[in-house]
Amino acid sequence: MNSEPCASGHLIALEGISGAGLMVAAKRLREHGQRLAVGVSKWDGSSIFYELGRGDPTLAKPSPRTLVLLYATDLVFRLRWEIQPALQQGQCVIAVPYVETAVAFGRAAGLPRRWLAELFNFAPRPQLCYWVEEPGQGSSVRAEGFLEYCRAVLNPPDPARLDSTIQGYLEALERRRGCQRFTPQLLTAAEAASRR
Amino acid sequence: MQTKPRVLQNARRRLRDLLAQREDKRGLLIAFEGPDGSGKTTQRKLFKRWLQSEGREVVTTKWNSSPLIKPLIKARKAIRSLCPEEFCLLHAADFRYRLETVVLPALWEGKTVVADRYLFTGLARDAARGLDLNWVFNAYAPLLWPDMVFYFSVSPQTSGKRIAAVRTPKFYEAGQDITELQDPFQSYFKFITRVIQEYEALSQVFRFTTVDAEQSIYDQHCSIRELFEKTPRRPWAEFNVDAVLDWLARAPQREEVRLEL
Repeated sequence: MNSEPCASGHLIALEGISGAGLMVAAKRLREHGQRLAVGVSKWDGSSIFYELGRGDPTLAKPSPRTLVLLYATDLVFRLRWEIQPALQQGQCVIAVPYVETAVAFGRAAGLPRRWLAELFNFAPRPQLCYWVEEPGQGSSVRAEGFLEYCRAVLNPPDPARLDSTIQGYLEALERRRGCQRFTPQLLTAAEAASRR
Repeated sequence: MQTKPRVLQNARRRLRDLLAQREDKRGLLIAFEGPDGSGKTTQRKLFKRWLQSEGREVVTTKWNSSPLIKPLIKARKAIRSLCPEEFCLLHAADFRYRLETVVLPALWEGKTVVADRYLFTGLARDAARGLDLNWVFNAYAPLLWPDMVFYFSVSPQTSGKRIAAVRTPKFYEAGQDITELQDPFQSYFKFITRVIQEYEALSQVFRFTTVDAEQSIYDQHCSIRELFEKTPRRPWAEFNVDAVLDWLARAPQREEVRLEL
């Protein structure tokens, strides 16, 4: 791993179930990279999901596939208006979340791996990827994550099972994609390494 | 214990059997495709009335019409904020939602579904906007193939003339997001020429039933009736297993089918 997570032109993906947990991790990362201009791109930057939530509640709920298509639309928007312009200016950008959270949700909902990979192939690979296990409890941060939103929309019969499947997928990212588990110690170690 | 692929194979085989049994009871899906100004909507209405007179229960679904996604698209079109990828993905989401909530439930219940534009509209327009056709296909997957696709063939000149006679083309309809031409009529002509090229290519690959949309309304309607009656349906068990399985796996009202699987 690079000893300095936040570097000029770096795109960092933060993936995880808990919106609050992700925002706490993003805040820590931002503080860690305070010498640099660090931008945070949150999900629903395009307000698609906000507008969807304000729609007619009596309508049939969207399926996981429709939700993933809408997430991809939102990510195109974020890349176009938030992420790429900031990277071009040499900023470090933290994407909360990026691709893998949506892929984890899609896989847990039974969508084919190949379909998901092809759908998100427009998204450039981040320089670094972390997955956040902590739910962000005890912090004052209030944020609903994409997965929490989907869970509320779909109202699955066994939400704990859905969460554990997603968690399992995110844990496996470490092995498959070099996506590290995010811990505060990780940043302390990075700071120590950068001082040496 | 069975391995996962074996379980899936067995489930697919059972689904194929189930779909084969359902084949006679399910409704037909007929798509009307073609550029703006080709007269699809007029023909679709006449066709629907004729089907109803024959005693069929008919459901119509129009492009970009889902109550859930359409407002999102409309708002973004109004401020001209959509790039080709967003345009494609939002329309694919709208299409998927209609497929799952309108088209497939109606077909399952034996109703005939007439689609005023189907996914080929998305494919032709998105390809004309320069997107990779494979990526666009994937966004619309799994595909539910219609039993028949009527393609209303007109020249760019006829399409442009018919549209100009009634209204000024809108920003995205005229493809002004990609042609960057100020004049909507000029832009429309340039864009629709590309769209028609894409349609023609799709028509060859997917063997659409082409209707000469330069003919009179009456002649077109007569040939549509004739073609409809002699064209065989496309068996679901052969063409649409993935799309139907994807829907059945989530449709709560299909509990009895899930138990069978």
